[in-house]
Amino acid sequence: MKHDEAYELLAALALDAVDDHERLVIEEHVATCPKCRSELDSLLEVAGALGNSVDPLPEGLWTSISSRIYDNGDVAHPMPVLAYDNGARVVSSQRRHVRRPAQRTVFSSLGAVAAALIVVLAVSLANQTNRASNLQHQLVNESATSAALATPGHTVVDMASSTQADLASFVLVPDGRGYLISSHLPTLPVGDTYQLWGVINGKPISIAIMGTSPRKVTFTVSGSKPTLLGITVEPTGGSPIPTSAMVASGAVED
Amino acid sequence: MDDISEASDAQLVTMIGRYDEVALAEAYRRHGGAVFGLARRVLNSAVEAEDVTQEVFLRLWNQPDRFDPTRGSLRSFLLAQSHARAVDAIRSLNARRNREVKDASKTARSGYDMQHEAWDIALADQVTRALEELPDEERQVIQLAYFEGHTYVKVAEILQQPEGTVKSRIRSGMRRMRAVLNEAGIQGVET
Repeated sequence: MKHDEAYELLAALALDAVDDHERLVIEEHVATCPKCRSELDSLLEVAGALGNSVDPLPEGLWTSISSRIYDNGDVAHPMPVLAYDNGARVVSSQRRHVRRPAQRTVFSSLGAVAAALIVVLAVSLANQTNRASNLQHQLVNESATSAALATPGHTVVDMASSTQADLASFVLVPDGRGYLISSHLPTLPVGDTYQLWGVINGKPISIAIMGTSPRKVTFTVSGSKPTLLGITVEPTGGSPIPTSAMVASGAVED
Repeated sequence: MDDISEASDAQLVTMIGRYDEVALAEAYRRHGGAVFGLARRVLNSAVEAEDVTQEVFLRLWNQPDRFDPTRGSLRSFLLAQSHARAVDAIRSLNARRNREVKDASKTARSGYDMQHEAWDIALADQVTRALEELPDEERQVIQLAYFEGHTYVKVAEILQQPEGTVKSRIRSGMRRMRAVLNEAGIQGVET
């Protein structure tokens, strides 16, 4: 396409008012013509101003977007710890571990092999009324946690939010078992529960229903080790997929 | 940077390139309403507009390098993406089938009312003024092309005008708008 022909159509291109063939040939010319490129950039700004009407964002749209960033099989992105102040402002800005694409490939391969093998067992022991039973379970749990911490190859995962660095921590052992080491999660109202998720093969997998005030949580994950653990607040009984922003998360380091 | 709300758009995109979801969330907070608003306006469907908005932000997440801050604002970049996808949808058979049938000439005549929708506050007055100052025939072709998603060829067919005339009106209308916005000091539209 000659320069004059392309130049004449730049305004229509900025409005997406050309057909696909014209778009291709114009863009081909623009790529090699600084004058047309500058003109097109300027006209795109005008088009942007023209279309710059702001609608209230639909509820749940961000949740859909944030959940779909894992859809391509990548596992590199830790789940975001996000909180909205009445939907108006992101109030969390936690920095987190960054994995580069090369690592994505490795994790994707591992995750793809084993993603279908995930088995989730959740034990949340809450509202124990028998003090002796409580103590017994506590001792057993502490013993199991201590044993896990002494197991070669174990991994400790520290869970944090933007405002608190030590909301919870877990220990994972190589055979897939995991235990809550400590928790400073605030007690939830009746009707809600904390739910633990593991990001495996880029997707959040439910690992455990933790109850309203987690103190003892054990679980087993078969297959790939999660790259990230995250905690959400869900309705009692849990949810098959996260329905709210994570209140804490932690990378599972190798 | 402790407060992400203080990051520039360019910084946000850089952070998105490092897989920072919080940066993506902040970009969504800043521009999601405009992206959704434009798509809804073109598609006349909130449901389809949500799909477009998702695509736009997922594309930003997967291909942040497509945004070049030296070529324009992030808002305009995202709006161009939103508009292109909305137009693609509206030109498809299914979108047309599901879309509320509109009389094009009636829409063009009533286009002025569309200006009174929720414009972004910072631009509202200037954009409204720029549109008002356009000759009717220029405003009409821009509205049919941009908000109805028609090609200039289709606009010519609707208005029963020569294609060259429509092309010329689109071009002169856009330049006239640019001049008004530039005069008003709107960034990024300088010639």
